[in-house]
Amino acid sequence: MDFTFDDEQKALQDAVRELAARNAPAEAHGDVPVGPAAHDPKAWSAIAEMGLLALPFGEDVGGAGASTVEVAIAATELGRARVATAYAEALTAAGLIAFGGSDEQRAKLLPDLLDGTSLVVPAFAEPGRAWSLEAYDVTASGAGAGSPRSIRGSEAEEKLRGVQGDVTLTGTKEPVPYADAADKLVVTARVGDRTGLFLVDGATVSGMRVRLDNTPAVALGSVDDAARAIRAGVNLGILAVTAEALGAMDAALPMTVEYLKTRKQFGVPLAAFQTLTQRAADMYVSLELARSTVLYEGMALAADPYDATATSRAKVVIGQSGRHVGQEAIQLHGGIGMTAEYAVGHHTARLTAIEHTFGDTRWHLARLAGALDDHEQVDLLT
Amino acid sequence: MRLQLSDEDAAFQQQMRDFFTTEIPADLRERWASGGEVSADDIRESQRLLNAAGLAVPHWPVEWGGKDWTQLQRHLYLQEMQAASVPPPLAFNASMVGPVIATFGSQEQKERFLPATANLDIWWCQGFSEPNAGSDLASLRTEAVLDGDEWVVNGQKTWTTLGQHADWIFALVRTEPDAPKKQMGISFLLIDMKTPGITVRPIQLIDGGHEVNEVFFDNVRVPADQLVGERGKGWTIAKFLLGNERVGVAPVGTIKRALASAKGYAAAARSGEGTLLQEPLVAARFAELETQLAALELTVLRVAANSRGEKPDPASSILKLRGSQLQQDVFEFTIDIAGPASLEWQQPDDTDLQSWAAVATPTYLNFRKASIYGGSNEVQRSIIASGILGLKG
Repeated sequence: MDFTFDDEQKALQDAVRELAARNAPAEAHGDVPVGPAAHDPKAWSAIAEMGLLALPFGEDVGGAGASTVEVAIAATELGRARVATAYAEALTAAGLIAFGGSDEQRAKLLPDLLDGTSLVVPAFAEPGRAWSLEAYDVTASGAGAGSPRSIRGSEAEEKLRGVQGDVTLTGTKEPVPYADAADKLVVTARVGDRTGLFLVDGATVSGMRVRLDNTPAVALGSVDDAARAIRAGVNLGILAVTAEALGAMDAALPMTVEYLKTRKQFGVPLAAFQTLTQRAADMYVSLELARSTVLYEGMALAADPYDATATSRAKVVIGQSGRHVGQEAIQLHGGIGMTAEYAVGHHTARLTAIEHTFGDTRWHLARLAGALDDHEQVDLLT
Repeated sequence: MRLQLSDEDAAFQQQMRDFFTTEIPADLRERWASGGEVSADDIRESQRLLNAAGLAVPHWPVEWGGKDWTQLQRHLYLQEMQAASVPPPLAFNASMVGPVIATFGSQEQKERFLPATANLDIWWCQGFSEPNAGSDLASLRTEAVLDGDEWVVNGQKTWTTLGQHADWIFALVRTEPDAPKKQMGISFLLIDMKTPGITVRPIQLIDGGHEVNEVFFDNVRVPADQLVGERGKGWTIAKFLLGNERVGVAPVGTIKRALASAKGYAAAARSGEGTLLQEPLVAARFAELETQLAALELTVLRVAANSRGEKPDPASSILKLRGSQLQQDVFEFTIDIAGPASLEWQQPDDTDLQSWAAVATPTYLNFRKASIYGGSNEVQRSIIASGILGLKG
């Protein structure tokens, strides 16, 4: 077990940190937009050009042949600087294609995604439903005699593996972050009693809403393999967002510490008040536990892209530490932490969004709880 | 970055596992695992078996029985020892006074005390805290006055853990009462507990057990050659010792074992139509504790890998803080699992209740100590705030 970065990884970290600093959103202008950030095409091009989208994928499909550890390193730096792009989403979509698509589809689709020519994002969420890896209300149909019909049974599934135009999707996906910036979507849809993966480029997109109405789609691989592919693809997205959250916390804590050192009240720096410094110490503890967990997640996924345990653990740790660090960062700043002109609240907003991306703490705890019988005790070293 | 242990470390881990599970008697390990009153004989037997195999004091200098292991190997050694429920070497000997004598003692002191300390032929206890000197240790007032070639010691120590079994005590005493700062003028003295003038009085704790004591010194005469290091420089030694005390202080293996046991208890406890473990809130809490424990263990491994030198990493304060919290959380959850069975504290001869449930409440109460001893969690937060974050009031 070794948590140290090698020279190449340090070089990557430095390079992404510089890229991120150049593309960090400006604050302190008084009219900083709040809420979910729009996709930043300039930052996106820089990310694509540096090859960050290609990091974990094989060279045979245009990837860089690095690993998920490098994804964690890059995403942490993007999070530290609050660079707003669909990085995690694009990695997820590419992962869904890489793990779920046929060899032919991988060879045809991935190179454009990995060099940034095409932006593809995943569409999972359905309005009025809690997070799920399954699709419920968006359904896939084969083209019938004039009217669509629901696909049932294995015979119908056979049809869905067919060529473009044989399959259509119907239903609404929302919210789909960055849908309005994407040129294609990877959509989960109901196939009988299972969930399949489909590539769509003709959906009606409005903001984060995706309307599908007999929209032509291409099935990615077979519905038999979709569940595993979804798990591996989403693992990649979770790695990227948990690492991004680590970066956000890694930025919020020093800002808070600096503020405690410099801000004076009652004639002394806030750091003179032990109740505040003790709380900053607890933030540090949360941050470092999160760092260990996310680095481990990167290593675990490099060894096994389907590892649900390491991923869910990281998501839980990040969910809990993100709340703790984000809330305390605002509180210890006092009123200034509430303002849009100051970065700390933006970090907290992003941490909150990340907790609800790709499954929240409750969902991941439930998944871990369902696997309690698999082991007597936690074993990380064998 | 590497996920797996190297072949060498994996072999080391296996070697430790084999030794602890085959060479330390199973009945001794079962008694240790079951909790309850600490048996001095078991601790002695365990340490002597370890010492015979060269495994009692691996972090001492090699010439005194140390092993020159990496931090990761030390972690694996502790982890496997805890996983096998082996009573660990007595901390006062192995982690506290031993390294102090090896570092600050004279050659004569080393030869006289180190082999006996490693083998638990001398059972040491710690004479640091006093009624008015806890976290503010430098306020201690027990005094030692030189009279010829003997120190005459007067005063009182408290929270002297397992002092009722101890042969010797290592004490901080004030030798220069007029020193300009209270941290100065303190010396580190080794005292035979059989010396006339020493009285040990038990302190009963809220769990009903007897593990700490008050120790009174009334004109206790101590040979001058039992002072360790320089006279008046005891504070430096105390800081060195307390640094060692904190290192590796997150008992990950012990917490894991306690959590695994709790899971077993929950799986066996009938509840409604199923078991307690099948209840969603219980299962979710297990998942949460396992997750938090994994985060702690990963951090232990990260800190261990980074602290190459002997100097304690201030990040080890995280391990003390979080280790004690999680240990407490697991014991707290264990009483919740025991539920009504936790109302019984003794294991009567005639009972249908399980023995683990009878110790659940005393164990929970006993381990409220974990966030107080070894530098309270507030002290650890202060170390993090000033030592790492640079927040100096």
